[in-house]
Amino acid sequence: MRTDFHPCHSARREESTWTLAPLRRIESPAGFFATLRMTSSPQFVLTLLAVAGSCAVHAAEPIDFNRHIQPILSDACFRCHGPDAGSRKAKLRLDQRDGVFRTREDVTVVVPGKPDASELYLRISSKEEDEVMPPRESSRQLKPAEIDLLKRWIAAGAPWGTHWAFSAPARPPVPAIEKRDSKSENPIDAFVRARLAREKLTPAPEAERAALLRRVSRDLTGVPPTAAELDAFIADVAPDAYDRAVDRLLASPRYGERWAWDWLDLARYADTNGFQGDPERTMWPWRDWVVNALNANMPYDQFTVEQLAGDLLPEATRDQKLASGFHRNNMFNGEGGRIAEETRVENVFDRVDTTSTVWLGLTFTCARCHDHKFDPIKQTDYFSLYDIFNQMSETGSASGGGGRSGAIVPVLDMSTDAEREAVSKAQAAIDAVAKEIETFELIKFPRPEGKAVVDSPAAQKLPGNLVATHARPAVNRRDLNGLLEALPFFRDTEPDAPYVALLNKHISAIRKRDNASNNITKVMIMDELPKKRDTFVLNKGNYESRTDVKVLGAIPSLFAKTSLGEGTPPTSDTPARLNRLDLARWLVSPENPLGARTAVNRAWQAFFGTGIVKTAEDFGAQSEPPSHPELLDWLATEFVASGWDVKKLHRTIVTSATYRQSSRVTPALHERDPENRLLARGPRHRMPSWMLRDQALAAAGLLNETRGGPSVKPYQPAGIWEEATFGKKSYQQDHGDALYRRSLYVFWRRIVGPTSFFDAGARQVCTVKVAHTNTPLHALVTLNDPAFVEAARVMAQRALTSAVRTDSARLDAVFRAATARLPAATEKSVLLGRLAKLRGQFGAAPAEAHQLAGAGEFERPESIPVVEHAAWTALCSLILNLDEALSKE
Amino acid sequence: MSCHRYEAIHTRRDFLAQTGLGLGAAALAQVFGGNAFGAPAVSSSSSTGLPGLPHFPAKAKRVICLFQSGGPSHLDLLDEKPLLSARFNEDLPDSVRRGQRITGMVASQARLAVQPSKFAFQPGGKCGTRISDLLPHTREIADDICVIRSLHTEAINHDPAITFFQSGSQLPGRPSMGAWIDYGLGRLNDNLPSFVVLVSVNSKRAGQGLLARLWGSGFLPSGHQGVQFRSAGEPVLYLNDAPGITRERRRTMLDGITDLNRLQHAQSGDPEIETRISQFEMAYRMQASVPELMALDGEPAHVRESYGPDVTTPGSFARNCLLARRLAERGVRFIQLYHRDWDHHGGLHDSLPNIAKDVDQPSAALIRDLKQRGLLDDTLVIWGGEFGRTPYAQGDANREKYGRDHHGKAFSLWMAGAGIKPGTTYGASDDFGFNVTENPVHIHDLQATILHQLGIDHERLTYKFQGRQYRLTDVHGKVVKGILT
Repeated sequence: MRTDFHPCHSARREESTWTLAPLRRIESPAGFFATLRMTSSPQFVLTLLAVAGSCAVHAAEPIDFNRHIQPILSDACFRCHGPDAGSRKAKLRLDQRDGVFRTREDVTVVVPGKPDASELYLRISSKEEDEVMPPRESSRQLKPAEIDLLKRWIAAGAPWGTHWAFSAPARPPVPAIEKRDSKSENPIDAFVRARLAREKLTPAPEAERAALLRRVSRDLTGVPPTAAELDAFIADVAPDAYDRAVDRLLASPRYGERWAWDWLDLARYADTNGFQGDPERTMWPWRDWVVNALNANMPYDQFTVEQLAGDLLPEATRDQKLASGFHRNNMFNGEGGRIAEETRVENVFDRVDTTSTVWLGLTFTCARCHDHKFDPIKQTDYFSLYDIFNQMSETGSASGGGGRSGAIVPVLDMSTDAEREAVSKAQAAIDAVAKEIETFELIKFPRPEGKAVVDSPAAQKLPGNLVATHARPAVNRRDLNGLLEALPFFRDTEPDAPYVALLNKHISAIRKRDNASNNITKVMIMDELPKKRDTFVLNKGNYESRTDVKVLGAIPSLFAKTSLGEGTPPTSDTPARLNRLDLARWLVSPENPLGARTAVNRAWQAFFGTGIVKTAEDFGAQSEPPSHPELLDWLATEFVASGWDVKKLHRTIVTSATYRQSSRVTPALHERDPENRLLARGPRHRMPSWMLRDQALAAAGLLNETRGGPSVKPYQPAGIWEEATFGKKSYQQDHGDALYRRSLYVFWRRIVGPTSFFDAGARQVCTVKVAHTNTPLHALVTLNDPAFVEAARVMAQRALTSAVRTDSARLDAVFRAATARLPAATEKSVLLGRLAKLRGQFGAAPAEAHQLAGAGEFERPESIPVVEHAAWTALCSLILNLDEALSKE
Repeated sequence: MSCHRYEAIHTRRDFLAQTGLGLGAAALAQVFGGNAFGAPAVSSSSSTGLPGLPHFPAKAKRVICLFQSGGPSHLDLLDEKPLLSARFNEDLPDSVRRGQRITGMVASQARLAVQPSKFAFQPGGKCGTRISDLLPHTREIADDICVIRSLHTEAINHDPAITFFQSGSQLPGRPSMGAWIDYGLGRLNDNLPSFVVLVSVNSKRAGQGLLARLWGSGFLPSGHQGVQFRSAGEPVLYLNDAPGITRERRRTMLDGITDLNRLQHAQSGDPEIETRISQFEMAYRMQASVPELMALDGEPAHVRESYGPDVTTPGSFARNCLLARRLAERGVRFIQLYHRDWDHHGGLHDSLPNIAKDVDQPSAALIRDLKQRGLLDDTLVIWGGEFGRTPYAQGDANREKYGRDHHGKAFSLWMAGAGIKPGTTYGASDDFGFNVTENPVHIHDLQATILHQLGIDHERLTYKFQGRQYRLTDVHGKVVKGILT
């Protein structure tokens, strides 16, 4: 059998030649282990990519079903012997207890304690081409260590279990650790150190105080500590100094702004609709709702319910309706020839996929087309969730929303009188220009009185689309795209200067009206149809091919009985039909084993770079087993017990000794644990690009702390939007204070995102993991982006105009602004050497020094000598680009 | 150990995690190559890509994809249909349409009236492949190309169709073809990205927007995404140093960064710092190599002229074709061009000749130029769009003035070089150009074939994401052996 890597069945796959070859010990040709072979030659197998998670287990370590066995069965066997009936071979399921221990025709799959009597072991260890499992042609082969593990598991009695993530977390006992190992009372440390002790590793000492404050300030607020905060913290010798610093940071309004970023990534928030045309929307009041909720420490269960179903709450407040905008943040394809229902269905898919990724950590998308290959999720489960999101009034048509903006009904109108008045004024201006053009066209396109322009022979001669886009519509109905196409014709091909002047006037008036119209604040929100749509399973997820299988809104069946082992009864007789509010409440109820786990895992990922479950988007059978399963469950249960108190969760994490460790690493430890999954040291990785920009602004004293409001447009290279949209969208950069707002508030055009950010979520689909890559293109941003150059320039001028007068003292100040510490003597000597050289270089070229000293729009005191200013600017840029400045240490 | 991969792709720790390699430091040095700074511009060993790749000897070292965005009309360019003229203005028979869905733009039309092409076709080259008068230069290279007339796709709207062509999925979020190839094969050049995108501006300065995600890396590490070389402003975003920073001063700054990073490395021990040092050096080299690439002064006049008069205009398709050849010479693995505005719902008779003129001579000149330099033997060139156009008119049928709607059931493109049978045609559509009748080539088949020519088994180039092994061709695709030498 030639096997796909892709677990999905193939619709277009070439017919393979299948033969049924009974095993020698099975008399009946229809024996349940009928072997599948293909006549073509076996394929070379790339096992290298097969499993990321390590399944190595020391001989002495007891075998754990969840940790060691289930991942192998899932990855190597479930594709043909798993939950999907459609691709199941030999009617055998290895994802259920009954299947694994079944006996049929005297053949038992697994006989506890007896590997040699177990068909499963005989097959995986067989040397016979036609009986070995997985088949030789399969892309996934078992490694000798895995075969050995399965053998030892059977020998040990084959203890069976359910996939850990599908059972509710039980609060585990906190391991006792020897007092000499730790002064910490924080249970996180007990769990982490118990594991380190098993691995014979010792934790790192606490990070230096400055480094620690820098780390926790970044993590909690996204901005570096000020010099005064550093001084105060270093001078504070009280035992609770760190705890108080953490409390201060948690209370800062910057806290909500920092954590909103991660939520916006998973909510796929942006300021435009995406796709062709990419119209603007005004979802920023929803973004501000998130920031405020985080700052107010809204409990996560309430945070969830209001965003998924705030509109359905009894007596829903305006803020609760606003919160429901969460599920209107998806992209919207309003392309010309688009079939509305196709768009509508895709949007519902997106809502199902996003919900299941965020609150279940499961890859429901797979079950859109067929039963899931690895997890017990049926296609009907997918469509039961689909039914819940299928009841909104959105039709898939882009029209009928909020004027010319990308807001599509239903919307919450949050516009002001001034905004509305600006639009009517702009519209009146268009009408006036249209009158002028009408008069002009009576002569330009002669035709009998009362006839339209298109009836004029002169107009019928127009080329290309112009007859349709320019001549046919009444003047005040002509749109921007048509006019932009008409313009070059009347300017270059058949020049008519006065007419072109009028067209330009028209274009400019339309642009003004569109801008005004885009500023009308209408937030897309959810609603519920009074009469529900019927939901049918769509064959292969195709919006056009409804099956006759009707489903009702329901909790996925695997959670109805929360067991991988015992099978799940059909839910066809479900009495009730759940709606969004029911679902939202269930997602944060004790019945959902994954609601708290997914949330605490994402928080862990934000602090340590990697989640306890590394596959933060997938907790299913194919996920990587948690590095600290008990810790995950302790955090999850503690989180719920605290009343879903997010700030308390963050406080617990950052006050742990584990978090407070130094990030220094020896080559031996790095070799042993390159990803720091065991946590024998503190986290160290490059900060997110948005935080780097905020840091540069903060280090220069430029950061504008204004909160909320419409998104801003800081520096961006010319022509980016224009090139992507053929001039239909033009970037109007802001000036003054708006240039220095936090990255959170930067306008996000989906088809071409902000150019200053790299490794950021694309804000197109739900993203729960961020990348930390390292490329030359990133170096070009932090070296050359005008925002960073200006920050270096302003850093330099603050140093040069401050009270300190020596190079050495100035260097201390700028270095500390970027790294929170003072430079060591060797570092200082390198930097002063660079400064001297730069002074010489700029001294020889004062005109160029003048250019650099004038970088950016922020004002520059003329009193600073340009050569000195330029040399210090280059030095500050150097410092902002040090690995240490770019990294969370 | 130093790491000089252009886009250090992922951090080393991610690489290890992703591939599950339990390699020690010595083996890692092998994986990442050990060239010193200033290695020759083209070196076959600068990056090894994935272990085990290529799966078999490759015919193509690199790909140039001349993507014609908007849906060029196969019926007016590459697939002559005399019957359309005979059946002018008749209703498209239901037996042909077979319930195929139509876009929202013509769904309300009372009838689907057969629309012939107003453009004549002539045989080209010794092989006699019939090509429209709109592409006279392409006709002259008929003996070097293979015209495929049996492409088909499921998508009927631009965004899903282009996304499908580029990434194998109609929905956004999958890696693009160039990203897959960079991920699999790595790069051939230390000083340039291995996946470069050139977007041209057509003579009318019109068309639909292109989305950066078309050359995105999807769930692959972001280092694999295409890098757009722009025609206006800086060729690569933030490539130019700030005003007042010369190369010499940049060097002064970089030396300081490197010295301090080394000290930091000694302190913290994080090997990622070494990677950072090499990435900053790479950025510095790119600041020289990219402008050198974009400057055409060194090209002999006769070469420049062969691409047509537009070659002097930055951002023209002609100039980008010449740049594509220069990129190919320098070892860039995947060169993706886009030319827009093939979407002729109305006024096709006017617009199509113009846009065909934009691309015809440069495309043919590129093939000749590559051939003359011996590069065509290992460069795969693809010319085509996301779908074709309907044999019925959008609006009324008219022998002179007409438009056509999107059509994905049958359309055409051509390929050349790197083991593609020259001077041939492959597959056929019915007499209406509506359905494929012979040797269908699905988009996934095309993708499988492109990978095959690069020495990649499309079923074995995979990446695990969300618990599943993904590939460019989803679960589909078979290599189109019939077009291979």
